[in-house]
Amino acid sequence: MTFSTIGTVARRGANGFERKRTDVAGGLFKAVILSALVVSLLVLAVLLIDTVADAWSQLSTRTWDFLNGSLRSRSIDDKLGVKQGLYGSFWIGVFVALTAFPIGVGAAIYLEEYANKSRLAAVIELVIRNLAGVPSVVYGLLGLFLFVERSTIFGFVGLGWLADATGGRSVLSAGLTLAVLVLPIVIITAQEAVRSVPSGLKEGAYGLGATKSEMVRTQILPYAAPGILTGTLLAMSRAIGEAAPLILVGAITGGLTRNPELWDTSGLREKFTALPIIIVEWVSERGRDPGFSEAAAAAIVVLLVLVLLLNMTAILLRNRFEKKRG
Amino acid sequence: MHRSRRSVRPAARLLVLILGLSLVVSACGSGGSDGSSSGSSDGSSGEIFISGSSTVEPISVRVQELFNDINPDVLIAVDGPGTGDGFVLFCSGETDISNASRAIRDSEAEECASNGVDYVELQVGIDGLGVMTNASNDLVECVSFADLYALTGPEATGYRSWADANAVSAELGGAGDLPDAPLDIFGPGEESGTFDTFVELVVEHPAEERGQAGTTRPDYSPSGDDNVILQGITGSDTSLGWVGFAFANGAQGVKLLDVDGGESGCVAATPETIASGEYPLSRPLFVYVNSNRAASNPGLEAYVDFYMDAGLDRAVAEVGYVELTDAAKAEVRAAWTERT
Amino acid sequence: METPDSVPGSLSLAALAGSPRRVRKERLISRVMFCAALVSVVVSALIIYALFSEAWIFMRDVDWSSTWGELGWFPRRGIYDMPTLLVASLWTTLIAMIVAAPLGMGAAIYLSEYARPTDRAILKPILEILAGIPSVVLGFFALLWLAPNVVAHIGGEGGRGSMLTAGIGVGILTVPLVASISEDAMAAVPKSLREASAGLGARNAVTTVRVVLPAAVSGLVASLIVAVSRALGETMVVFMAGGAADAAIRTYSPYDGSLTMPSAMASLASGTDQVVGEGLTFQSLFFVGLVLFLLTLGLNLVGDRFVNRVREQY
Repeated sequence: MTFSTIGTVARRGANGFERKRTDVAGGLFKAVILSALVVSLLVLAVLLIDTVADAWSQLSTRTWDFLNGSLRSRSIDDKLGVKQGLYGSFWIGVFVALTAFPIGVGAAIYLEEYANKSRLAAVIELVIRNLAGVPSVVYGLLGLFLFVERSTIFGFVGLGWLADATGGRSVLSAGLTLAVLVLPIVIITAQEAVRSVPSGLKEGAYGLGATKSEMVRTQILPYAAPGILTGTLLAMSRAIGEAAPLILVGAITGGLTRNPELWDTSGLREKFTALPIIIVEWVSERGRDPGFSEAAAAAIVVLLVLVLLLNMTAILLRNRFEKKRG
Repeated sequence: MHRSRRSVRPAARLLVLILGLSLVVSACGSGGSDGSSSGSSDGSSGEIFISGSSTVEPISVRVQELFNDINPDVLIAVDGPGTGDGFVLFCSGETDISNASRAIRDSEAEECASNGVDYVELQVGIDGLGVMTNASNDLVECVSFADLYALTGPEATGYRSWADANAVSAELGGAGDLPDAPLDIFGPGEESGTFDTFVELVVEHPAEERGQAGTTRPDYSPSGDDNVILQGITGSDTSLGWVGFAFANGAQGVKLLDVDGGESGCVAATPETIASGEYPLSRPLFVYVNSNRAASNPGLEAYVDFYMDAGLDRAVAEVGYVELTDAAKAEVRAAWTERT
Repeated sequence: METPDSVPGSLSLAALAGSPRRVRKERLISRVMFCAALVSVVVSALIIYALFSEAWIFMRDVDWSSTWGELGWFPRRGIYDMPTLLVASLWTTLIAMIVAAPLGMGAAIYLSEYARPTDRAILKPILEILAGIPSVVLGFFALLWLAPNVVAHIGGEGGRGSMLTAGIGVGILTVPLVASISEDAMAAVPKSLREASAGLGARNAVTTVRVVLPAAVSGLVASLIVAVSRALGETMVVFMAGGAADAAIRTYSPYDGSLTMPSAMASLASGTDQVVGEGLTFQSLFFVGLVLFLLTLGLNLVGDRFVNRVREQY
């Protein structure tokens, strides 16, 4: 008997069951499980490094020009860049915030505070959960039908006024389509935030004579605000990364003279493009002009910076308040 | 509890503000708000919308870039959904110019006519294809359309040797004298306009007659990057491949094959034979201009004027296509200036 | 209400209800909230209407023999072979699950059962970043990195896309989804079960495999169902890295390029030069959309049921 086995037996005797033995199967299991996580993280690392490496030739020498440039026919052009895409993606984010956010929060408050577990509310909840799983390309069809084509419903409810108001294939149409797409995300996250409000706060407000809307305004919204904002930021980041619905709504891929400043609202009802569309277009242009692979990588870096900034803000916000509330 | 409530405040105030603002807008109707200033054009404000062929798209974009350097006030948007989709938009009056990699079809012309859309057809350049093999391959000098279909069409699926294609080639009237040598094919992927041109010129017609799918065999090495195609061709002794002519011309390690279109025998691919139309593996590239719009929109007229000038002389070559001959340019320019 | 008004000093119900203005305001606000909630229902109805109204024209006018047993998917020539799209959708989804299920569940088990809280605080946000990466980025990555560096070493072509390439890309995209739902499911397993298992002398691995995983099984199944639904609907990765555009020959080999339902839709919408202007091309877009919608809807409903089962159990 070796020394260590004696020790093991001794301990086993002392505790009645084994405590510490080289656990081969358990160690192997842990290693396999850990490797799954490591592989996932490695993929993320490779993706980021590879993209930045590809993008380097564009970003290291002409960052500012690239951010201010426009769609061009050749990759070596001095004026090649993504500003038009930034414009489209920025305003898509704004429209999502302006429409999906209030409607989503309103819906969440209705479902959590007003609906009283009615059958209608249950139906609405089911509809929302299923909407969250509808593929994005299908939302593109909806956008095409609703905001771009001059459709009619059952032959008599005309939707032409909608197409007129949005200007057809415009940023406005794209923004509204994506707002509809992320609406379920906003509602579901807002519902969770509203649900987390302690009932003591609500009862306290009622006890002081507040009406329901006053209670919502003074207690629920302040308490749920971080959660709601987190959800909205995640929804915005999802929206500006989406490309499939924009293909259907009709973003421009070739050339565009109009290159407005970010806050210039005169371009909202005009032909547009967006960052993800530029990426797809440049990836396909690389057959004719291989330099477009690097341009596409550079556009990806710009998109990733935006998306990750929104995501990280959302995650930090949530973690901070989760910790505070324990 | 007390402390965290305080720190929530600013966020909450922002939230309430945005909420209040936008509930007004969205209330029950949702969406359809129209707060932005109206900038819609009826074609006369110097805005131009161009759609159509993705092959011609780079030319029109290049012309737009050069034109906007001089005339920054004319706002142009160029899209590239495809020739046919472009004509649908053009004939319903949605676009001012339609890019096309083929002439307009009768059915499309009727659609234009029924909507009162008059147009001018202008050829701007030529897209030629270079068919290549490895520079050291002296077994093949010239291929006919029948050979090319037999080698790359849907019926060629699984062929590993050039000679496998002889039977089909002979059925189509080809010589059927392809060598017994390994066949490695490299070409552009389906997303490419060069692929489309090849299919349209070589595969589509015989495939239809023989009841086959109008596309190439699936088992070849496609790439979106022309350099990768050239690498493939130089890496295999008896390879076969095709890319846009401008890219193939002068490339190292590859040999351009002559092509027999069935009319004038084997023709070598050179800028001259392509421009003259002698070389069969090429197609004309067009723009169609809505002439009523050109009359009412000075910006559109100026853009097409510019297209006829620097477009034909400079942009076409700059984005990798073959320029027209001087005679052909003169003819096209005349067609534009003498439009009715 | 019949409150005796005559009694002085008593509190009437009418008084309790507050001033009429206040009541009216309350009612208005509740109505606005209700309208906001109704928007989702309206959106669903519009999606279904838009899909059906156009798909109906397709179903009425199409020669049904052209949707089955043809050479492939050539919508612009009037050939709408649905098996082509279904086979491609099956392959990419299957490959995506082969990638995502072990990676996602492994990561979830590690995070839930092994990781210390400090590690979790770092690892989870990183996974969430992966979840936030747009699909066009993964499409680019799959086509330009995975194809030459991974797919080329497992029998595929490095220079182009294929169903295999796209499938791996979609798989990476769904890893965080699988991980997050699986982790939730395992977190829902009561601590007491783990403690009881440990108390009986089971090692950590044994507790995980014999106790936690069986208890969380419906949540794990749900994570896979939801991931399958997500993979079926993924558009851009397959559009960019699937190795086919506009049309595809029916193929059963994952090494070939082909079109899935959503990538066929995106191809149709973005167009190519081969347009023949076949009459039903536009409607076929909506028909494919309808099939895709119904498939994912069915999967989501089933997935939901599994998620609810977890909630009810504990």
